[in-house]
Amino acid sequence: MLRVRGLTVGYGGEPVLDGIDLDLESGHFASLIGPSGSGKTSILRVVTNLLQPEHGAIELDVNTREIGFLFQDDALLPWRTVRQNVTLGLRIRGAASGDADTQAEHWLTRLGLEGFGDRYPGQLSGGQRKRVAIAQVLALRPKLLLMDEPFASLDAIVRTRITQELLDWVEREHLTVLLVTHDLEEAIGVSDEVHVLSHGPRATIRARHSIDIPRPRNVLQVRRHPDFGPLLQTLWDELADEPPEKGTAT
Amino acid sequence: MSADQTRAVRRALALLVLLAAWETLSRIGWLDPFYVPPPSRVGGVVFDLVATGDLWPHLGATALAAFAGLLVGLVLGIGLGFAAALSPLVADLLEPVMILLNAIPRVILAPLFVIWLGIGLASKLALATILVTVLIFFAVYNGIKEVDRRLVERIQTLGGGQTVLAREVYIPSVTAWVMGNFKVAVGFAFTGAVVGEFVASSRGLGYLLQFAQSTYNAALTIALILIIMTFVLVLFAVAERLERRLLAWRYL
Repeated sequence: MLRVRGLTVGYGGEPVLDGIDLDLESGHFASLIGPSGSGKTSILRVVTNLLQPEHGAIELDVNTREIGFLFQDDALLPWRTVRQNVTLGLRIRGAASGDADTQAEHWLTRLGLEGFGDRYPGQLSGGQRKRVAIAQVLALRPKLLLMDEPFASLDAIVRTRITQELLDWVEREHLTVLLVTHDLEEAIGVSDEVHVLSHGPRATIRARHSIDIPRPRNVLQVRRHPDFGPLLQTLWDELADEPPEKGTAT
Repeated sequence: MSADQTRAVRRALALLVLLAAWETLSRIGWLDPFYVPPPSRVGGVVFDLVATGDLWPHLGATALAAFAGLLVGLVLGIGLGFAAALSPLVADLLEPVMILLNAIPRVILAPLFVIWLGIGLASKLALATILVTVLIFFAVYNGIKEVDRRLVERIQTLGGGQTVLAREVYIPSVTAWVMGNFKVAVGFAFTGAVVGEFVASSRGLGYLLQFAQSTYNAALTIALILIIMTFVLVLFAVAERLERRLLAWRYL
């Protein structure tokens, strides 16, 4: 589904990422973890054409319009209602107004926001805004979903609940997902594979781990699986091995 | 009684006490009525101006210059702000001029406009326009430059181009910035019109003020100040309602 080849990304000085290779098979859920400043977000930004690399190539089996990007911030338009925000991508892609509204209601209902369509983002809680952002992306029925620490700002209970809802959807629809996260437990709990970036600048992928915990998964119960603890320790050791932060944060 | 009502009653009482004290001090001679005429006399002047209809041509002239200046200033400020934000060349040319105009008290241009454009409407309109244009230019120019990049990238990742960006991000953002400065712009437009009339004109509230000053008519001067304040307060209320309507999402 996604192949990253020799990706080098810089911001004028020493490259942040240096020669990243990454393969993501269709239907797989992969996580990218690494220290702050290692360029995790930059990889997603290159895949979505928000950032031009110095070297390297991105090969995709899908059209860029079939990629959904869930940002760290919900990034909703404050002057548009919830419904208008959810239909935004659909309208950009030419959906008729009535169809877009119907789909928006469908997704809002699925995500527990029935009756919230006429509210503005400023009237919602952080968790509700995040659900709107998810609805906005999933309404486009992406084949490849990129997520940049999407739940980092939420409290633990809301975060666990939304992660589970999203995971259920991803498993049911066999979506391909690339998740950037700082949370090692989250990475193991939801992923089929975890890629560990070294510290930047000139970060590389220093380790890859397959996670053979069966699906469907429950984000709380998955922690009791016998593979979970040892893998968490391994990832922790790999990141703790890294030298202290000194480079550019992106 | 709600807290708001209590506050309003307190303020009204304070104002009444102040007016009563002023009236009394003026009547017993502690305040020279030549310099500080009692409120009853000022009220009488206001009543006469309204009742005789003398006020309306002057108020109309000032309002016309102020509204026309506000409109032209908004159009110019928004247009130039957009152009400067989107074109580095335009920004290079315009920014120093606008910074210079912003740095000086722009009402000093009034005599020059009178020389160039005469004592009619045009010179007042020009002064009101330049006051508003500079204010709105910086609101739009800085606003677009500092637009929330996350919203821009959100639109881009959803597949939107420049047209969608303009419709969904830039125009709503600019509306918010302009409306945030709208009340100040209304005040500036009125300032430009009145100061322009004060410098040289044959009608308008500024002209009346100039006449009152030259004849040492303190009662007329205070009456005109009150009329201008009342008119601007009414405009502020209208501007606030417009802002709340256009930026409804901010006031929920």
